Amino acid sequence: MQVRIGIFLCDCGESLKNIDFSRIRGDLQRLEDIAFVDISHNLCLEEGVKAMTSRILAENINRVVIGACSPELCEHSFSRLLKGLRLNPSLLSLANIREQCSWAHEGDVTGKALELMRMAVNKARFLQPVEKKDIPVNKEVLVVGGGFSGMRSALELSRLGLRTTLVERESVSGGKLGEFESFHGIETTPEEMLSSTRKAVKENADIKVLTSAEVTRVEGQVGDFTASIGRGEEKVSQSFGAIIFATGYMTKILPQDFQLKPDVNIISQRKLVEMLQAPGKLERRPGTIGFVLDVSDENSRLPILSTLNNALAVKERLGSEVYVFCKSLKVDSEGVEKLYREARERGVVFLKFEEKPRISKEDGRVKVEARDVLLGEEVTLLCDSLVAEEKVLPPEGTEALSSLLNIGTDSAGFYQDENVHLYPVASERKGIFFVGGCKGDLDFTRTLADISSATMSIYKLLSPEKVIVEVEKVKVEPEKCRACLTCVRVCPHGAIQMVRVDTEKEVAKIYDLACDGCGICAAICPAKAIRFEGYADEQILAEVEAIGESL
Amino acid sequence: MMNNSVLVIGGGIAGIASALELANSNRQVYLIEREATVGGQAASFCCKATEVCTKCSVCLVPQKVKEVKTHPKISILTNSIASEVSGKAGNFQVEVWQKPQYILPERCIACGICFDICPTQPKAIYLPSPEAVPYSYVINESQCLRLKGQECNLCQEICPTDAINFERKPERQELSVGTIIVATGFDVFDAREIGPLGYGRYPNVLTGLDLEKTFSYEGSLRLPSNGKEPHNIAFIQCVGSRNESHCYCSQVCCKYAMRFARLIKYQNPDCQVTIFYIDLQTAGKGFAEFYEECREAIRFIRGVPVEISETCYGELEVKFENILEGKVGRESFDSVVLSVGMAPRKDSWDLARILRINLSDDGFFDTKEPFNPIETNVDGIFLAGACQGAKDIPDSIAHGTSAAERAMEVLVRCK
Repeated sequence: MQVRIGIFLCDCGESLKNIDFSRIRGDLQRLEDIAFVDISHNLCLEEGVKAMTSRILAENINRVVIGACSPELCEHSFSRLLKGLRLNPSLLSLANIREQCSWAHEGDVTGKALELMRMAVNKARFLQPVEKKDIPVNKEVLVVGGGFSGMRSALELSRLGLRTTLVERESVSGGKLGEFESFHGIETTPEEMLSSTRKAVKENADIKVLTSAEVTRVEGQVGDFTASIGRGEEKVSQSFGAIIFATGYMTKILPQDFQLKPDVNIISQRKLVEMLQAPGKLERRPGTIGFVLDVSDENSRLPILSTLNNALAVKERLGSEVYVFCKSLKVDSEGVEKLYREARERGVVFLKFEEKPRISKEDGRVKVEARDVLLGEEVTLLCDSLVAEEKVLPPEGTEALSSLLNIGTDSAGFYQDENVHLYPVASERKGIFFVGGCKGDLDFTRTLADISSATMSIYKLLSPEKVIVEVEKVKVEPEKCRACLTCVRVCPHGAIQMVRVDTEKEVAKIYDLACDGCGICAAICPAKAIRFEGYADEQILAEVEAIGESL
Repeated sequence: MMNNSVLVIGGGIAGIASALELANSNRQVYLIEREATVGGQAASFCCKATEVCTKCSVCLVPQKVKEVKTHPKISILTNSIASEVSGKAGNFQVEVWQKPQYILPERCIACGICFDICPTQPKAIYLPSPEAVPYSYVINESQCLRLKGQECNLCQEICPTDAINFERKPERQELSVGTIIVATGFDVFDAREIGPLGYGRYPNVLTGLDLEKTFSYEGSLRLPSNGKEPHNIAFIQCVGSRNESHCYCSQVCCKYAMRFARLIKYQNPDCQVTIFYIDLQTAGKGFAEFYEECREAIRFIRGVPVEISETCYGELEVKFENILEGKVGRESFDSVVLSVGMAPRKDSWDLARILRINLSDDGFFDTKEPFNPIETNVDGIFLAGACQGAKDIPDSIAHGTSAAERAMEVLVRCK
């Protein structure tokens, strides 16, 4: 089809006085394929839009070039206008002659504006329409991990009308909430919270629970993942629209951090909770209990949460003397400062060290020696039980799962790396989400926010039953593809897969729904087989060619 | 009858996050903002990147603001407040008052002709920021000659799009919505409340907020007193946090102080940077590595100074308890930055009364039960962001998204 370009210039209420608009119009009119060049005072206002609409309709043009203010401000409304006129919005080419030209320069401003316009015109010649299409999505969700976060995610999804399959590796769901004896000041115990959640999940018809099961394979893309779930000998394969990983974390006392192995005196939080739950079983009540924090990992929030809650429970139940050794108290989560103050008021003694305490055995008790910076003195404590800090680690299988999904991990091995600040629960791959402890850092309120965020994102994605996406904005030209797999390897979103075209040949295919439009594949393809519409080679080269013309 | 739209009170990052989630799920959203532009306080913060990104998340704000501006399902009402609320979950009636729109944002093309002609000094008509949304000039009512009753009509006459009209009156609107999300944000703690630290008295005593503004406009720090580069600068943590009247950790100060310290050190390697602290909050994804880097470049001193005084040479003498040495220390700095925390909005009581929601002991909006950071005592009214308690930008976004989820749940349930 013959290219017919309509050009609109906007002088922004005649305020761009350093640009000679009639000179630009004269020069542009001499170019090929130009239907008209209009000058407006207010393209972004109602009257400007009206004039533009009638002009586009009357002249029957198929490319629109606009020289106006920053695309940040106006691109959206112009695209919308084109869409209303049944013109594909990808056929629009913009030049910023206000912020990046008139406002920024002195001297031959008209010359630069003309050049910017020529670039936009040259690009416009090569623009291709990008169509949009509905893609159906599967509304079932897979939740991996049957701990508190996983169960809660399934329940919240069900409240929004989405069905889930919950896969738990262990024979019972439950997770790590059991490490807390109680939440101080709150009547509901963690145990009760767990059992009521478990019950709600069991009674919910939208949630199918598979225990002693593991996800062994995940294929496909957002909207249509296929997961293989192994349960002993049997294997089932099911299709899901989205996946939530709530695989939690594990904790471990690292012996090298404590110079001593865990034994009757050096115990974990869970062991302490067992003691607190059945104080009658104790041979004798421990007179002194010590907690040591910030030895294995001084940048974690979890140990202080369990320590404060359990220390207060010790004070209440056993009445022992409690000492907490730490470096910096992590109070930056909700309510922790208050809990810390309360613990101090109840007689829990906090000692702060700069250098790691030395821990040894003496007469069947544990000796902790440290220099307390507040007292400025060496402190030696003999305690009956030392609750050692447990290092928070990714659960077993995280590595295997992350390579299975082609998803990155951080330096400590937890899921999610760079993008955590941008999209707190999303992964590089659309439709895959992470909540709770498996992301590495955890406290209650943040975990709850995670769960609802992931639920909301999934609802947004799946509830319309179909997703409107731009089709083939980035596409592979099959005849040029050499199947070198470079694009498959570099795609951070797992959006490219090889598909067989005939018996001889496999070519790369980009899945529109999973594609984020980052353009890495188009840039790296050695055979130049991938075209990124709007940034295709010939479009950019044509723009560059226009730069020298006026010189 | 069920109303399917949502009211979000507050156009900061948390409110925007809520609005976007709901609008993207095809619900009509009314976003009301008291100020002339949306984006909230985070929109005025600066990027703290050195040679690498330090993940301060400030860049998320303009991105989200732009999305909100162009979303067909979101109506933004700036300069507006909710004055009365009645009804219940599924069907709230809200009265909204909008201040007189002397400049109509939808007519203003930001050409700047009015600014050039405005006769006052400083100008009474101005663009709030280069990234303002809506991108429209606004009038400073206390500066404008016309609004002070004098005869001046220059801007109205010259405006090429007839966007300016001084005859406009406040407008009242009645909105019907299914649920309400409160996202009114926080006030920065006013460091003047702690007299001995000398903020407001000594020009070189700054706050974290001052640094944010300085870096976003100037890109680097110069001493306010003489315009020179600082050689020796200190940060004091927990100013307005973790004390008797603010019994919580503000969660953002350690991180912004370390990011600023690193940035100052990067721009000027000869500058000595010291951070005085009680406990360092270094938890958070990826922050451990950053802290390691900081430890090499920055001096950390445990103990928070109690007094700052100015010497006759214009230096700031900081009196602190040197815990490691067990004695009172004195040291001089060119400039001291107070890492001020987040406090509840001073007028949050007004909104609490209108909405009949509770305030917590700290003065933030309260939730109905522990471990439920979103739901208030009124069914159908939810909290998002720092109006519920101190939060950083990513946490506010996550919280805003969660609030949207709860709101969605009500809309689905009441259908």
